[in-house]
Amino acid sequence: MSLAIPNGLDNTVERPGERAPLVLGETTYHDITEAVCKVSERPPSASWVGGFLIAFALLQVLGLLIVYLIYTGVGVWGNRSPVFWGWPIVNFVFWVGIGHAGTLISAILFLFRQDWRTSINRAAEAMTIFAVVCAGTFPGIHVGRAWLAFWLAPYPSLNLWMWPQFRSPLLWDVFAVSTYGTVSLLFWYMGMVPDLATLRDRSKNKYRRLVYGLLSLGWTGSSRHWMRYEKAYALLAALAAPLVLSVHTIVSFDFAVSQVPGWHTTIFPPYFVAGAVFSGFAMVLTLMIPTRTILGLEKLITIRHLENMCKIILATGSIVGLAYGTEFFIAWYGQVPAEQFAFLNRAFGPYAWAYWTMVTCNVISPQLFWFKKCRTTPWIIVVISIFVNIGMWFERFVIVVSSLSRDYLPSAWAYFEPTWVDWGMLIGSFGLFFTLFLLFVRTLPVINMAEVKATLAKQEHMKHLHGHGDTSAETH
Amino acid sequence: MSETKTETTVHGMMAEFTSVDSLLTACRRIRDAGYTRTDAFTPFPVHGIDKALGIKPTALPWIVLIAGMCGTSIALMMQIWMNGIDYKYIISGKPFISLPAFIPVAFELTILLASFGAFFGMWALNGLPKFSNPIFTDPRFDRATDDRFFLYIDAKDERYDSVGVRSLLADTGSDYINEVVEDESPKDVPKPIYLIWGLSIAASLVPLICILTMRVTNSSSPRFHIFYDMDFSPSKDAQQVTSLFVDNRAMRADVPGTVARGQLEDSLDVLTGIDIDALTASNPPRVERLVRAYLQDDKDAQAAEDAEAASAETPAADATAEADATAESGDKADADAAPADDAETPAAAEPSVMDTTPWLKANPLDIDAELMANGQKNFQIYCSVCHGMNGRGNGLVNRRAQEKMFDTWVPPSSLIQDTLYSDKYPDGKLFSTISKGIRKMPGYASQIRVKDRWAIVAYVRALQKSQKASLSDVPQAKKTAVEKAVAVAKAELKRQAEAAEKSAAEQSEEKQGGEQDAQQK
Repeated sequence: MSLAIPNGLDNTVERPGERAPLVLGETTYHDITEAVCKVSERPPSASWVGGFLIAFALLQVLGLLIVYLIYTGVGVWGNRSPVFWGWPIVNFVFWVGIGHAGTLISAILFLFRQDWRTSINRAAEAMTIFAVVCAGTFPGIHVGRAWLAFWLAPYPSLNLWMWPQFRSPLLWDVFAVSTYGTVSLLFWYMGMVPDLATLRDRSKNKYRRLVYGLLSLGWTGSSRHWMRYEKAYALLAALAAPLVLSVHTIVSFDFAVSQVPGWHTTIFPPYFVAGAVFSGFAMVLTLMIPTRTILGLEKLITIRHLENMCKIILATGSIVGLAYGTEFFIAWYGQVPAEQFAFLNRAFGPYAWAYWTMVTCNVISPQLFWFKKCRTTPWIIVVISIFVNIGMWFERFVIVVSSLSRDYLPSAWAYFEPTWVDWGMLIGSFGLFFTLFLLFVRTLPVINMAEVKATLAKQEHMKHLHGHGDTSAETH
Repeated sequence: MSETKTETTVHGMMAEFTSVDSLLTACRRIRDAGYTRTDAFTPFPVHGIDKALGIKPTALPWIVLIAGMCGTSIALMMQIWMNGIDYKYIISGKPFISLPAFIPVAFELTILLASFGAFFGMWALNGLPKFSNPIFTDPRFDRATDDRFFLYIDAKDERYDSVGVRSLLADTGSDYINEVVEDESPKDVPKPIYLIWGLSIAASLVPLICILTMRVTNSSSPRFHIFYDMDFSPSKDAQQVTSLFVDNRAMRADVPGTVARGQLEDSLDVLTGIDIDALTASNPPRVERLVRAYLQDDKDAQAAEDAEAASAETPAADATAEADATAESGDKADADAAPADDAETPAAAEPSVMDTTPWLKANPLDIDAELMANGQKNFQIYCSVCHGMNGRGNGLVNRRAQEKMFDTWVPPSSLIQDTLYSDKYPDGKLFSTISKGIRKMPGYASQIRVKDRWAIVAYVRALQKSQKASLSDVPQAKKTAVEKAVAVAKAELKRQAEAAEKSAAEQSEEKQGGEQDAQQK
């Protein structure tokens, strides 16, 4: 694709004593507004309409399959003794993992003052929320009687006359995922209000102005408001940072607190979190690279942004690879026969094909990012990211299915086989995800304009203060 | 502008700037000029402007802290109340109030409520949402969210003076200065919005009203179920009518020749001692009768079955009884009388039911030490009173009867006779005899459980074997020990035979089993 990066658009070169620009070209504040707002103001392009129709059709597949499932019963899945968790839980963990990059970019990179996050955080946060929506669907329908899923909530029930069991990781999960979804939504919406005000102020259409006016809550850009807003944003970031780490930790407790060989390991929480960040960034890249090209946002989402994300993928992918090795080491070192068998069974048992798919995609493919050419060539990044997504789905498959299908009692062993409903729901969940994402791209500001403008201001300011040092931008 | 002042309320003065730096300079100027009710409007947060305008820090962090602490305490109290006090779950013997397990939910709720505090607290402190704001009347203010920076001095400021403020702002380099006036646009919310609002509220109340109405009203029709939740089973109760079968009965009889679940434990083979497969081949009507008798508690079939068995035994009964009597009389020389037993096989001239029935050749239960012990126990309780502890037919009752010389007494059979060994008297037949009785012996089916009866069969076989064992029956490991014991016993016998009379020999016969075994060989 862009083998030759146009002049002035290569910001991947490190120059000593100078920060690489994050907004490229002779861009003004107004150019940023134009570039971002145009996306939702112009009529939808043919590629958007086509993509939306496909995604929406897949969403209907998911919806119809859920109706079929509720009407018929959970027997339509491949979940059979002893693998009762099967694909619904694999998909749940997969989607929750995808949902980790957004808040990580918004919160943790914010706390580390990584300015390059500003161009990608909005879309990544949106992706987080849509991934959590997909994730939440699966346990909701996996409970069997989905219309009674509200029993998960601790409410004074006159029918049950009992409370939930708070010592179960499954209930912790309910709290963790719902808190994560809620806080991510608040964070996302709060970050969007100033940009919604921009859309409101640009609206020519009465109804458009009304809707954006309501959504932007009467935002004026007052300095007092901005001060409290920034404080709230920083506080939310500080709250969301441990939250994002806690969510996949608690998801991993679903497994680690049990006694199934292959699940009962203390390495799970950090290993799951690293895997979640890994898969989340892969999904961000998979989505952002086509998005930036189609919407013409190359000056705002630059190669440097992509390269930084590739570096995170390389780091987390290596952590994941290390975790795979550590698991085997501990299985050998722990000298528990069932545990040893579980890991040998993963690598050489009936699911060896899934295990080696996982290792190839997750451990080997991201190592290509050691090469700068791979980190800076968009199509290579997309290909590797898709491999990582596939690998991470298989990781959850390997953990859930291979452990359950062969645990302590050999007479109960069985080989799990998915049904067409399992397949349909996995594909349909992508329909849900892409439908929401495409609607988001059309209707809401895809890039955090206010933050990018602030980054641009800082960049301009630094140009003026050349030679006065980097930190002087903060003080006046 | 002064003429508009009389007609509309003036809210303040607005000046536009094109860069952050010019805005900051202007801010400092008006701050130094002593204005306090000022504000700046910018498309992005401008750092340093709070100092330039003299904005005080916000109390938001305190709100967040308090909200977060509320989250922690609500979560802990909730979990302690729900799982530790109100509804106690016993989970792996852990304490009901197990704080470590309550940490995750406490953590999540802390974050959740603190986030609510930050989010809602920020909007509340900012006085938002506020949809009608006079500054929006400024025609160029739309660019405040795009690329322009605005400085605003409120008319409520003590030093506010329209002309002075205008000149001060013009001094700072602004080329657009405008007075902010009251918003004259109609304040009423458009009617369609009210309509939509009202309709959606009404629509959202419909389900709630339906549910509440259903809860408080009585109805003669069954309650409405969206999901059946297995509340209603399509199965029929006994005695109900169904259209599924020609006889219209919901309750079905077992199909002949089948065994219902739960009854499999005692299959027909085990219950009767008959090889049912073989019998099915030769005599299906009898199998059907056995099914009715044993599996369906059909009294008539039971009686017919018993009658046939009884009639089968009568012709031979007397002969056997006599033979047994003679055997008993020669009891003292039982061991030697074995050949005689062989000779007195009951007349097998006409094949009776007992002979033609395909009896089970082997015990259907797995024979182990436990079963043998059970068989021994039951044999000693129920059988030994007549048949004797060693099965030779000389139990207490028999001895007493012999003493009293009852002429109606039919002496019990010795079980150690060749006709009763498994080659001639299969296990199944022995079981059947125990169950139904023979001659004067009553059936024990009502007193001894099926499994115990089979255990007795196994024990009788062991008794028989022990009485006629050969050295080859001894396990290889114990053979040398036995041979040694035999040698010792033989030497002892020889010595005794030389030394003592026949009475002494009799005594040696009653010695314990091991030596006796050895001696017999």
